[in-house]
Amino acid sequence: MNRSLMETDVVVVGGGVTGVAVLRDLALRGVHAVLVERFDLGTGTSGRWHGLLHSGARYAVRDQESARECIEENTTLRRIAPHTIEDIGGLFVLLPGDDDAYAAQFVAGCAASGIPTEELSQAAAHRREPLLAPDLKLAFAVPDGGIDSWSLMRSMAADAEARGCRVLVRHPLVGMERDGDRITAVRVHDVVAGEDRTIGCQWVVNAAGAWAGEVGRMAGVPITMIAGKGVMVVMASRYVRGVVNACRKPADGDIIVPQHEVAILGTTSEQVDSPDDISVAPADVDRMIDMCAQLVPAIASGRVLRAFAGSRPLYKAEAAAGGDGQGGGDTREVSRTFTVLDHASRDGLDNMFSIVGGKLTTCRQMAEAVVDRLAERMGVTAPCTTATELLPGADHGTHKVAGPLARVERDQAYGELICECELVTRSQVGDAIAGGLTELEDLRRKLRVGYGPCQAAFCAWRAAGMLVEAQGDGAATGAAGATEAAAAAGPAGGPLVGLERFLEERWRGQRPTIWGDQARQALLNHAIYRGIFDLQGLGIPDEAAAANQPRTEDGDGDPTRRVGQELVGDTEGRTSSRAGEG
Amino acid sequence: MRADVVVVGAGPAGLASATRLAEAGREVLLLARGNGFTHWGPGAVDVLGRVGGEPVDRPLAAIDRLGEGHPYHLVGHDAVRDGLDWFARFAAGAGLTHAGDPERNRSQVTAFGTLRPTCLLPEPAAGALQGRVAVVNFAGFRDFSPALCAARLREAGIDATPASAPLPAWDHDLYFTGVELARAIDDAGFRSRLAPRLARVAAGADVVVVPAVLGMNRGHEPWADLQAQVGVPLVEAATAPPSIPGLRLFAAYRARLEALGVRWQFGFPAVGVERDGDRVTAVHSEGASRVLSTRCQELVLATGGVAGNGIEANRDGSLTERVAGLPVEGFDGRLAYLGGRFLGEHPLAAAGVRVDAELRPVGPDGEPLLANVRCVGGLLAAHDPTTEGSREGVALATAARVAALLAATPSALRGASLEPPGPPVR
Repeated sequence: MNRSLMETDVVVVGGGVTGVAVLRDLALRGVHAVLVERFDLGTGTSGRWHGLLHSGARYAVRDQESARECIEENTTLRRIAPHTIEDIGGLFVLLPGDDDAYAAQFVAGCAASGIPTEELSQAAAHRREPLLAPDLKLAFAVPDGGIDSWSLMRSMAADAEARGCRVLVRHPLVGMERDGDRITAVRVHDVVAGEDRTIGCQWVVNAAGAWAGEVGRMAGVPITMIAGKGVMVVMASRYVRGVVNACRKPADGDIIVPQHEVAILGTTSEQVDSPDDISVAPADVDRMIDMCAQLVPAIASGRVLRAFAGSRPLYKAEAAAGGDGQGGGDTREVSRTFTVLDHASRDGLDNMFSIVGGKLTTCRQMAEAVVDRLAERMGVTAPCTTATELLPGADHGTHKVAGPLARVERDQAYGELICECELVTRSQVGDAIAGGLTELEDLRRKLRVGYGPCQAAFCAWRAAGMLVEAQGDGAATGAAGATEAAAAAGPAGGPLVGLERFLEERWRGQRPTIWGDQARQALLNHAIYRGIFDLQGLGIPDEAAAANQPRTEDGDGDPTRRVGQELVGDTEGRTSSRAGEG
Repeated sequence: MRADVVVVGAGPAGLASATRLAEAGREVLLLARGNGFTHWGPGAVDVLGRVGGEPVDRPLAAIDRLGEGHPYHLVGHDAVRDGLDWFARFAAGAGLTHAGDPERNRSQVTAFGTLRPTCLLPEPAAGALQGRVAVVNFAGFRDFSPALCAARLREAGIDATPASAPLPAWDHDLYFTGVELARAIDDAGFRSRLAPRLARVAAGADVVVVPAVLGMNRGHEPWADLQAQVGVPLVEAATAPPSIPGLRLFAAYRARLEALGVRWQFGFPAVGVERDGDRVTAVHSEGASRVLSTRCQELVLATGGVAGNGIEANRDGSLTERVAGLPVEGFDGRLAYLGGRFLGEHPLAAAGVRVDAELRPVGPDGEPLLANVRCVGGLLAAHDPTTEGSREGVALATAARVAALLAATPSALRGASLEPPGPPVR
């Protein structure tokens, strides 16, 4: 079935930060646009990174164009989206054995890029970060920060939708209709409804990040992206107050970003064949820990929660294209700045732009750059206002790690905690369910249920109980009474299947990080779910289990993971493109 | 310090071993890092719930189908039966009568509405779910969802309906766990105010399933009293940790050990041993400010497997026994620790110390390494307590074996008179 869904001025392809920022930019200029995303917002690179709000200092030595973009946008995001930011600052730490000459280059590069630095003595650095290596030589303070990309995306999307634009998640692009040198419509598949649909449009913006090449292929234009996989390791506590970087040429395992209740160690940089490859090998995990323990020795004996990988959206410019497309290389030498591709002048395709490269910190600037070009062609004269218009939620001030605890204390909601690790209360879960969430996986992404050190030992079934209660008597038996969306997207086969599936999804990719205390936790959780509650996981399809088996061809038995694999549910009530029609 | 026998670990195996050795007249010191699987279990006595993933009806008979080297094979049927008989007498004597027959498994209802196979059940958990079943939570208790439980029970063909009973006014309106609620239910006045509220929501039901929180320190009496007042059979469903039935049992062990004069160091993990040839002569444990050394004739290790913290799973796939450095067969890298499905089986759960028929740790050649060290319970290799549902059975059977091996002294006769009276297993 293929029905015309709607007409719009601009279709934005890709629900990462860039696409959402483009949508918001268009909305603020009064242009009607529809964003299409194959999974959910931020399931690609935007949700698979370390959460660093760059000061630009990491690029100050070798890529000052990126560095300048970063510091500019760092300042802008603090203004328009403070609620998504932890204002924690950052240090670049020079260890014995690190090159003093590099430190001098670093300071000069920061100065040239407009990034303020403050040199800290060993004692001053330890006052600020007591767990830093005792023998560090000195450190430089920079205005790094932490940023929650999901929160940022939700705010930008809400702003765009409030101004009349649409966000269609679970709508993978399946094709484009081309009439000569114009795209007249895009075809998407409505996953929930199980139907293909057509969106008629005047313009297309390809903001698919690491997947921009695939969108280009559908439009018939060549875009060469390099999949630069980065592995990150999540520790069970923060260790540091602010971001800690090694003051040396960027390499594996040189950054620690505290985020919410955890710290994220990053990262590797490996060229792989596909941006969908997000597998993690035990050796990657070991390397992150060993390297980051040079900066903060306590990490060596710390508890690892999990590891994940993301794919950097690296663009290979024309001149350099055609070289090696093989996997395996270090991709750090590719610039982290961004590029707007006007496919009219480049490829003779009149009405499509691509925005490639870049990074989360510069997403707003990337959107401004591509929408400026587009607006000029469209004859839209409204200027970009995304740098000055505050996002919804901005009046809350910056995010404080102690905020959730303070809320619980204020409301005396100790008895209402569904998830003790992440301080998620019954009313938060209730509100989320009332807002249309039907799956534990959605609750996790919205509320962080199941993210903490206990890895869902207690919260998952408390939340599952609330889901069953909310769905009412009929839904509890997996049949009548559930909403259409829940019936279509939700589990068949009874009230515990959704929970079993959530547990199995959380299990994916955990094995490379399980030893020590986390091994004990895993077996205790097994003793709860299988031992006490006698869940056998028999409702889980065999293929899910098979996909989770170790790959045999590569020696380290790395569990194969693909982007989007963990998505089982619906999102924020955005069930089908039919919803809200008419 | 000095003790005749040092038992390390206060889970199901350590508590039973220490109690039985003390009853047999040995002078026992119990050293424990913390609580064990009494607190983490379902509050039942699992003997053998599943073999090859399939539920077992006759646990004692099914022992023959277990793999080579399984602790049950090492100690034999008689020790398994002895362990269960002893436990039933001990528990009944402590006011925690268990129902069940070692020859037959039965079902325990859980908070998820599943019916887990087990062997002996505390009486409050042992009622049959017949007729109209009301699944009732106490309002505000986070760890039980009647809707979830009832939905699954209905799938199993049981006529179950969810409901919620308001609690009487009490001191914990803002925040309480099952522990506070169970303590409150110990109080007869609280129970008399709770009973009519429970009776109101249970009206018309033939059986009422509630979370396992009916009393903490008064055995099964609060359950029996509340049941009499409500006038409908009450069945406690297994809930998430901490297990209130497990806490009741732990308290019973503790009282018994105190009565037997067993010394008890809780919160101070054993961290090493002193050896003289093939004998351990002393155990080192953490003290408040320094490592303590306790000289001993015999050492019983009941420290648990990886889950119980008796064994450390290292980053490289190797395993370390934490007290005596006993050999434990490791894995080829840590990815091999765990299976591809969380709810499936995990090889690491079955990792442990290999022992001979007298429960002494053995080397690769099968010869005992230490003459006066015995290993019991989850520390033992070749069984997976969670997946096969054998945790308490293995604990009690190996404790029985240890008691038989180490009680063979004249002083053991004195111990016999200390045994509490109680009915045999029903």
